[in-house]
Amino acid sequence: MNDTYDPVSGDFEPLLTVTDGEQIDRPSLSYWQDVWLRLKSNTRALASLYMVLALVTFTLAGPLIWSVDPSKQDLEQISQGPGLGQKAILVPDRLPVPSINSLTQSMAEDRADGSGQRLDLLGEAHTEGLTLSWLAVANADSYTIYRHELEPSSIDDLGLPLAQVGPGQLSYHDSLSLEATTYYYSVMPIVAGQPQGYASQRVEVVQAIALSEARYRGLVPEGDDASLLGSTIRLEAHPLGTDSLGRDMLARLMWGARTSLFIGIIAPLFFVGFGLVYGGFAGYVGGKTDNALMRFADFVIALPFLLFMILFKIAFGIGPGESGIGPMLVALVLLSWPATARLVRGQVLQIREEAYVAAARMMGGGANYLVMRHMLPNVMGVLLVSLTFAIPSAIFTEAFLSFIGMGVVPPTPSWGSMCNDGIRTMLSHPHELIFPALFISATVLAFNLLGDGLRDAMDSRLRSDS
Amino acid sequence: MISYIAKRLLSGLVTVWFIATATFLGMHAVPGDPLLNDKAVTPEVRASLEAAYGLDKPLPQQYVIYLSNMLQGDFGISFTQKNRRVNDIIRDHFPVSAMLGLLALTIAALGGITWGAITALYRDRLPDVLIMLLVVFAVSVPSFVFAALGQLVVLKFNQLIGHSVIPVAGWGTFKHMLMPSLVLGLGTMAYLTRLMRSSMLEVADTDYIRTARAKGLSAPRIFFKHQLRNAILPVITVLGPAIAAITTGGFVVELVFAIPGLGRYFVQAVQQLDYTVIMGTTVFYGAFLVFMVIAVDIIYGFVDPRIRVDKVGA
Amino acid sequence: MSDTPVLKVENLNVEFATFGGAVRAVRGVSYEVYEGKTLAVVGESGCGKSVTVQTIMGLIPCPPGKVTAGSAKLCGRELLTLSKEELNKIRGAEIGMIFQDPMTSLNPTMKIGDQIAETLVVHRGMSRREGLTEARRLLDRTRIPEAAERARQYPFEFSGGMLQRVMIAMSLACKPKLLIADEPTTALDVTIQAQVLELMREIQREDGMSIILITHDLAVVARMADDVAVMYAGEVVESGPVDEIFYRGSHPYTLGLQQAMPDARHDAGRQLDAIPGSPPDLFAPPSGCGYHPRCPHAMQVCTKASPASFEISPGHQASCWLNHADAPRPETAASPVGSAQE
Repeated sequence: MNDTYDPVSGDFEPLLTVTDGEQIDRPSLSYWQDVWLRLKSNTRALASLYMVLALVTFTLAGPLIWSVDPSKQDLEQISQGPGLGQKAILVPDRLPVPSINSLTQSMAEDRADGSGQRLDLLGEAHTEGLTLSWLAVANADSYTIYRHELEPSSIDDLGLPLAQVGPGQLSYHDSLSLEATTYYYSVMPIVAGQPQGYASQRVEVVQAIALSEARYRGLVPEGDDASLLGSTIRLEAHPLGTDSLGRDMLARLMWGARTSLFIGIIAPLFFVGFGLVYGGFAGYVGGKTDNALMRFADFVIALPFLLFMILFKIAFGIGPGESGIGPMLVALVLLSWPATARLVRGQVLQIREEAYVAAARMMGGGANYLVMRHMLPNVMGVLLVSLTFAIPSAIFTEAFLSFIGMGVVPPTPSWGSMCNDGIRTMLSHPHELIFPALFISATVLAFNLLGDGLRDAMDSRLRSDS
Repeated sequence: MISYIAKRLLSGLVTVWFIATATFLGMHAVPGDPLLNDKAVTPEVRASLEAAYGLDKPLPQQYVIYLSNMLQGDFGISFTQKNRRVNDIIRDHFPVSAMLGLLALTIAALGGITWGAITALYRDRLPDVLIMLLVVFAVSVPSFVFAALGQLVVLKFNQLIGHSVIPVAGWGTFKHMLMPSLVLGLGTMAYLTRLMRSSMLEVADTDYIRTARAKGLSAPRIFFKHQLRNAILPVITVLGPAIAAITTGGFVVELVFAIPGLGRYFVQAVQQLDYTVIMGTTVFYGAFLVFMVIAVDIIYGFVDPRIRVDKVGA
Repeated sequence: MSDTPVLKVENLNVEFATFGGAVRAVRGVSYEVYEGKTLAVVGESGCGKSVTVQTIMGLIPCPPGKVTAGSAKLCGRELLTLSKEELNKIRGAEIGMIFQDPMTSLNPTMKIGDQIAETLVVHRGMSRREGLTEARRLLDRTRIPEAAERARQYPFEFSGGMLQRVMIAMSLACKPKLLIADEPTTALDVTIQAQVLELMREIQREDGMSIILITHDLAVVARMADDVAVMYAGEVVESGPVDEIFYRGSHPYTLGLQQAMPDARHDAGRQLDAIPGSPPDLFAPPSGCGYHPRCPHAMQVCTKASPASFEISPGHQASCWLNHADAPRPETAASPVGSAQE
């Protein structure tokens, strides 16, 4: 192809130094160095590794920074969505009751223009209480009061009343678990046992907090009460909102992470470790012992996993509604080891037949040497991969059991039990389900991707070797 | 083949015996016998229990009674529903779970194979990336979250249409089954998609696909007749575990969608400490799963000529 | 010898894109195959001999593979620019191909008969029945006993040698002009090797087809080939009629290969001379001649420029500077046998 090159004199002198053909062109890497390099070049795996680290930090350091008691209830802010703390008006502990009769009288005069409004709000409406008043209806036996979050469109929508008052009473003070939202109040006069139409009034309820409560929680300084009343303060902040019992979601998620990750990491460590010993022993010894051991492992694998998880809890004498992290750990370990044992045994059986093991044996390598130098390092790869995959499945198991009420139960927070709580209020307050579910998913996703990355990194190495 | 089936069935029976024994020991390992300790047990029930299980007798003898009852297919009487036999409970509620599970399995298998094949066909291109993203999402979200989301979707859908097209919960018609079975099958479908994809890619790299191309076969013919057929085989082998996953996943779905299946019944029994129902359903489910795995293996044997002919020869 | 070659490959260049950069697997390969003749392509593993034929057959996945230059003509018709459909009409019909490992080269879940019949159904428009009948005849012809029974079996029920016969039967189904055999005997027992090679020769005699035989076994070359192309590091370093190559080998690599081969007749007890070193890294091939780092006769010029193709005798070319008019004439160059035994 290079027809144009015209050799000059001296070109045909022999090369004095013949290049050593056996030289190694590229630097030699150890197995783990190579795996690490491959893992580093895999963006997804690297990102998931960082995510795992972030989660661990969140779990360990989180409660130190966000030191809110996960079981403390904030009754002013129940099922609060994520965001800063709500603003609230400071109100006196005992609300002054408006002088009803006079007010009703004046109202009646105001409405003499015939606007038809027969129900009105007296004074301010806030979560500590509100007072309604209405015009008397002739011959009324009683009045029933209704409260809705949606505007009733007909009399059939009213449903169950909030209260029923006698004919002489033309007002009602409502302080029954009010939330800072919009309500539709209706009043229906009963005449001769029959409903006589109804009147509705839209009421915007604002958040309020009693002064003594605010002081108890340290939200207001000591001092002059009178000047504080009526002013607006900010309630405790709940960045991720609160649950249906008014507990801080962020704190619960952090403490729940401790439970979930503890089970999710400790249990796999134990059962992978036990599987390694069991499977390694069976594979190394071989023969009848191996047969018997693996037969037993087959039996354990055949046990329906979740059923026996539940059974174990009962067997430990822990009923539903009782928390049992310890028994759950033991049950996970007892039921999950055979998969690892099988894997390790298969590897050991294979490695045992490798020429390098035979060579080591021939050179007088003892059992300890063979195991430590050849078996263990070669099993380590698959073991690590199976560990990373065992973690998400353990987290799932915890969540599943907690969800059906057989795992971690209140008050101990765990992501699974938080989901269980959250699912009940899913429609009205989705954040109570979304956050714990998000954390479970993110954790599982991170470990799954990390496992994928590790497996790929090791696989390609194994492939290029063969 | 027949001797192979017989062998598998025999080993299955041994496994079921192991499950039954483990269940028995598990229940009797409770500090203080739960069968005797439970305060909810009325004297009449206790008397009948003692008669049925021989609770006054020593443990080995109880074990014999328990096994012989079970061999006769008698799982005893429910603790909480005094005149219902566990057998009746299983008979009434299992078909519901089985129907739901079967539909979920069908959705999972067909979906998994189809999506997996598509991803392999469009390897590293948009459809592949998109589907695999969904798969990663689907395997990372717990089943109960899917159940809740599924219910939400149905609710919003009905609101959008204006009237209830698909029931949000309950049981009865085919419409009732749609969302629960989809939710139930989703996780397994994602898993099977992943498996099918890697299986397809593995087959694509084989020498025999190269041979098929060297033979001048058209791309669709290679895809369907050579690649797909061989790639499906590994998917069949994991149907056993898939059935197990769907069975236990059913607990949650039945709970959320208020479906009167055995799974929901089991969870209730657990919550009420209905020991006889727990024992009975555990052994029943255990036996069911063991024989399902065997059935899948046998089916696989018929599908894969390498095993089929081997076993006929042997 | 007919004048128009059945297959003419010219200046073929193939690259593979990898993480580490482009691997230049085939670098300007040219060879010709004539009607009824066998061309043996010889070389170490990884020298590009398989990639060349797989490129011709369109079996290289693109990407990562890419043909950067060159042409391959079957009876004057360019193959490299054909559409997929046109190529499919040629593959299996006009060019048959058999592979190294027969155990993995057949679909494990499809009956042997169906796999052979498939080619006929696709290319000859036969029905499945006709195809199966023809498949049985082909199996019979490739000396598979009880062909009718065997056609109903699956690949795993066959031995390696039998499967290679099946592969041959399959590739011959449409009476191709050219059979490409990519290391057809490497995975087989020595005794089986001879049978399979003999079968190929017999069929060649009867049908008059051409064969490209890829191998690294010089004994197979001596037995089968009419012409030889020796490849090293993605290039053809020497080519010519088989006798020329064996007796007047003019490239140090050809000689090295011969010395590495045992010969029971001449030198029992001789220690085999391995070629030192290993084939070059094709990420960055050495400058000049690809062989110079391992060549015992390397000269200054070899590091500077790729040697041109020198004609040793009609039809016999070698790409080595030793054949240049100005090069020193050590005892090596044109007297390979002598140098081989020194």
